[in-house]
Amino acid sequence: MLHGFLDLCLLAMLREKPDYGYGLAQRLATAGVADVPGGTLYPALLRLEQQGLASPSWGPSESGPRRKYYAITDLGRTELAAQVTGWQRFRDGVDTLVAAGARR
Amino acid sequence: MTALVVAALSAREVGRRRTALVLVISLPLWFYLVRRDLTGQSLRMLTLGIGWAVSTLTLFVVNASRGVDPRLRLSGASTAAVIGGRLLATTAGGVALAAAYWLLAAVDQGLDRPAAAALMMALTAAVAAPLGGLVAAVLPRELEGALALLSICAVQMLADPAGLVAKLMPFWSGREIGTYAVDATGPEYLWRGLAHGVLTWLICAGGTWSIFAWRLRLPRCPEP
Amino acid sequence: MTAWGVRFEDELRRLGVQPGRARQLADETAQQAAECDAAPDSLFGPAHLYARHLLSELTTRTLPLNGPSGPVRLRLTGVGKRYRRRTVFDGVDLTVRGGEVAAIVGANGCGKSTLLRICAGLTRPSSGRVQRTRRVGFVPQDAGTAGWLTADEHFTLFGAAAGMAPRRARSTGEHLAARLAWRPGRKQLTQHLSGGTRQKLNLVLGELHSPDLLLLDEPYQGFDQGTYLDFWHQVRAWREAGRAVVVVTHLLHDLQHVDQVFDLGALR
Repeated sequence: MLHGFLDLCLLAMLREKPDYGYGLAQRLATAGVADVPGGTLYPALLRLEQQGLASPSWGPSESGPRRKYYAITDLGRTELAAQVTGWQRFRDGVDTLVAAGARR
Repeated sequence: MTALVVAALSAREVGRRRTALVLVISLPLWFYLVRRDLTGQSLRMLTLGIGWAVSTLTLFVVNASRGVDPRLRLSGASTAAVIGGRLLATTAGGVALAAAYWLLAAVDQGLDRPAAAALMMALTAAVAAPLGGLVAAVLPRELEGALALLSICAVQMLADPAGLVAKLMPFWSGREIGTYAVDATGPEYLWRGLAHGVLTWLICAGGTWSIFAWRLRLPRCPEP
Repeated sequence: MTAWGVRFEDELRRLGVQPGRARQLADETAQQAAECDAAPDSLFGPAHLYARHLLSELTTRTLPLNGPSGPVRLRLTGVGKRYRRRTVFDGVDLTVRGGEVAAIVGANGCGKSTLLRICAGLTRPSSGRVQRTRRVGFVPQDAGTAGWLTADEHFTLFGAAAGMAPRRARSTGEHLAARLAWRPGRKQLTQHLSGGTRQKLNLVLGELHSPDLLLLDEPYQGFDQGTYLDFWHQVRAWREAGRAVVVVTHLLHDLQHVDQVFDLGALR
């Protein structure tokens, strides 16, 4: 279910603040959206980078290896805006269907 | 590497065809039993039987893989690996068959020159594999190929061994080495036979490879 | 680098990734595992399967969603075929790009299978020019498999042809078979498989070495309704993964699934 909207979630989180992979996974889980496995999350991040929607930079971590932080690009903001419109239309549509059934 | 996998799986394929396998293995035995009273005759017939069995087996193995081999080529295998693997499998099987019959002959009849007898049978098996491959390459249908091999073996069996016709046949080497092994002749028979066997192997293996290299060739398609 | 990382990088290169890029992806993957404090195989699964997954993910969305504009994988220019004096077809022009599904249609005997074999390079055209990508998978209509071998042995054999180690070839084959809702029996010989299941084996063998161009000759013969849908689902997945697909078909309702239709019968 998440598959079509993972990019949307990632871009939205990156607009809030730059973050690295594991941090994004935790934020998705905390928000109650999904537990995204590494094999789904990291390919999506690499793809966002490849498409120029997110730009990477290497940052230190308090402990352990350095981390790759992603920040949203201007192109990423444009894409996000488009995806948000699509998402709202989808959500409104589902809401309408659910509400129509509940009234009976 | 690829050739070894092809060889191993070809061997497994043949190994599963139990009835055919039993018939192939027993074919030289009938040749041997018919003239068991005469050591020389029985050994020569046995060797020819091994040659016939192994070449026919190779013919069917190569023919049976006609649908698969082009796809293996497309996946990236070389012609040498594909065809070499098939011939490797039947050669190994043929040499094992020869070893078993050598043991039988040694126990049943006693051999004056056991090493030469072993060479006669093993060389015949080794020549038979690419011969079967060559026939399969030239005559792609099984019936035609089997009939051609039958003709070759019949001519070899019936031709005067000193004459030209026998020398032009692929299994003449076995006959010459057999004379050395059984009739206690000088070593010139051995060398002549060995040279004939090596030459025949080169012609058959080279011919098989060239025909399949041409038939399984892939065009050099330029990248679009 | 870990053993997993080496296998991962090797597989990426085998799948056609430039060495420098493969090294970079392997390094990044190692770093991702480190930041999650997990072993790569527990985070990503087997190296060779993750390599395929990552590549298909990376190519999937980089293609614009409307209309294919991937690189050209196959181009036929003025291709014709004659047997002696009989002209089977002539002047075929066809271009198929990555992320595009093309169907070749036409009546029986108009040379659909011959045209597909020409695309593969197994048959020579009498005229014209064929350009195609090097990595091609070909699924013939019949034959193409060995009756006395099991499915696993086919995976080993075709994997060896593409330079894959036997164990890796088997696990890749089983993974691809699962996507067609098929679990190959360990001991079942191919000649004892039903026609539809044998076609599934055929499809998996065509895809085993991860080709950029798939050539399928009426691949759904013997499929039941469910498998038929699985098949088109798989075609869509290939398309989304940026592969080029050419399907020979005579079923008109297949055409809703394809981007372009080439009617070979209409040439004459």
